[in-house]
Amino acid sequence: MTVSIGRRAALSLPLAAFAVSGGRARAQQKEPFRFGALMPTTGPEAGYGLDFVKTYEMAVKDINDQGGVNGHPLEMLVLDTQAKPEIAINAANKLIDVDKVPLIITAWSSVVKAAAPIGNRTKTLELNMGANSPDIAHLGDYVYTVFPLAEVDVTALAKYTYGKLGKKRAAVLYINNDTGIGGAKIYRDVFTAAGGEVVAFEGYDPKATDFTGVLLKARVGNPDVVHIHGLSELPQVIAQMRQLGMQQQITSYSAGYNPKLLSQLGPAAEGLIVTSLAPTSDSNPNVAKLLELWKQVGRFPNGLPYLQYAWDSTVVVAQIYGWVDKNGLPMTGENCRKALLAIREFDLPMTGKLVIRDDHRIDKPVYLYVVKGNKFVLLDTVA
Amino acid sequence: MTDPVILLQILWTGIAMSSYFVLFTVAFALTLKVEKLWNFAQAGLMGIAFYTMFYTLNAAHWPPWLGVTAAVVLTAAVSIAVEVWAIAVLRRRHSSGLIFFIFTLIFSQLVAFVLTLMFGTEPETIFPSVMSPVRIVGGVAVSDWDLQAVGVTLVLLALLYGLIRYTRDGQFMLAVADNDKLAEIYGISAKRAYLLSGIVAAVLICAGIYLYGTRAGVTPDVPIGLTLTAVIATLVGGLGRIFSAAIAAVGLALLQSFSILFIPAKWQALLLYFVLFFALVLFPRGIPVWRIGRPKPLAPMPVTQAGE
Repeated sequence: MTVSIGRRAALSLPLAAFAVSGGRARAQQKEPFRFGALMPTTGPEAGYGLDFVKTYEMAVKDINDQGGVNGHPLEMLVLDTQAKPEIAINAANKLIDVDKVPLIITAWSSVVKAAAPIGNRTKTLELNMGANSPDIAHLGDYVYTVFPLAEVDVTALAKYTYGKLGKKRAAVLYINNDTGIGGAKIYRDVFTAAGGEVVAFEGYDPKATDFTGVLLKARVGNPDVVHIHGLSELPQVIAQMRQLGMQQQITSYSAGYNPKLLSQLGPAAEGLIVTSLAPTSDSNPNVAKLLELWKQVGRFPNGLPYLQYAWDSTVVVAQIYGWVDKNGLPMTGENCRKALLAIREFDLPMTGKLVIRDDHRIDKPVYLYVVKGNKFVLLDTVA
Repeated sequence: MTDPVILLQILWTGIAMSSYFVLFTVAFALTLKVEKLWNFAQAGLMGIAFYTMFYTLNAAHWPPWLGVTAAVVLTAAVSIAVEVWAIAVLRRRHSSGLIFFIFTLIFSQLVAFVLTLMFGTEPETIFPSVMSPVRIVGGVAVSDWDLQAVGVTLVLLALLYGLIRYTRDGQFMLAVADNDKLAEIYGISAKRAYLLSGIVAAVLICAGIYLYGTRAGVTPDVPIGLTLTAVIATLVGGLGRIFSAAIAAVGLALLQSFSILFIPAKWQALLLYFVLFFALVLFPRGIPVWRIGRPKPLAPMPVTQAGE
């Protein structure tokens, strides 16, 4: 017996088969929950930004491999900011108005600040995962941080420098942008309040390549310690300081915890004290898992502690979306904020316990590292 | 801050730091003088020179002399290519100055984008380490980099002076700079002069970016900013005066360095633009101090009617 199939029926068969398989796929996979990320994937800060993005991708994959958020896959949309506020504003508008994401992850103080009014106006939750300007605590109802602001590590460092290291006279040099100004002011105020004297407080242009002037100004004050609150130019500042024969103790914050700095400075980095706000693989096996994933990338990542926060911020997003979904609420920024405050305490794999405070700040232990033998060695932990 | 050792340190470091500034300025002023071209394409050449050295020394692990030679050859080749296949074409079409300006700017941006795609945007230095051995001379820290920078700059300026003053090609360059049509009537090839000025500029650019890239991080968009500072020094030194522009470059670098005595460091960069603003408004042909000692041009002969 033969079955004849008409021309129309023959043409419709593949379509029908596609419809059936598509329908099955749709049934298996729920609608994705999307969040936005504003990161510098080009520009001078891309060295960190690209590694943040890579880590988000790892975390998103890990969450989705474990079944996603109540069965919904988590999806991330990344837009480039070049760490510049003017570009961040356009990117934030695009994520909110076009892509309709209820939640955005940001970093870099000037970017967090630039995106804040948009988040507040549109009721989109903005989570800072890497910027540390103290101003971030005052940016509005929809801006929260999962990363400790400068008060946490810079305060601990300034107190430690005065109290434990016995340094009485400090020079504070800083990059003249939101990151540098905020952090430097905290260091100055805490060090002075502890009983020390700040003999120089000098900012430099973010595009500067010659730091002789600021360093000589610092040298005139005869400090015991020089605190440098900079970004990617930090190795050049330290190099020129050592070349001017200034052998004082140098301190910096978490931006200094970077393996590239060690290769650029070599022995000149010896004795440098920096902060970190995340535990290492020695005390947290989950960090070893992250490092293992980075081994597959083929290199050691830039700013590992920041990457631990990048991973954890993705976990926070998943838990927020899970809460909203579980309570049957529409996925809006307003409900995401409600979820963040309802959950409040997060037990995170890479950085430990996170408690969201009403004053938009968080607390974390501060790990102090010193450069010894061209390696970062744990000096002390300040709870 | 008024301690003589500190003042000497600022002076010495200021002079050393002005080295690459001088080389970029002389390269810019030379092309402006010979070709009458505001050549912002030199920013693109800086990028090509830097990343050639960066790649050959760090990824290909060539010895430094070979990496630097490769950069000079490639940069000079690109300079010649731009002259032959773009600038000369625009010149033949009698394009306006604005078209030349826009073309050179676009060329630099194109190079910056291509370099971004190839090398990313993380600041890179030519050698992995930015440290340089230091000796203290009379209380002043003098690094090997400082000596190298000052030495290379002086040697290259002396060679340029010798080229212009004592070689026929150099004198032909000046003749073309003064009047290209008249020079061609006398059998001088303007095309050859343009090519030579481009090659000399490429060598100066390579030396400048080598010095810069061994001390500070470079990203693909850094050269545009460096070219702007060269433009400021050229304007302050006076258009068409190559060595005055070089002195202006040193003066501006020292002004910036010594300004730390009077203003916060964060305002130092602003100073350049103040100087440019006032120089353009008050001395559009350059600051007159550079012209002291030069003979004034003769007054034009009165035009007389035939038979008078």
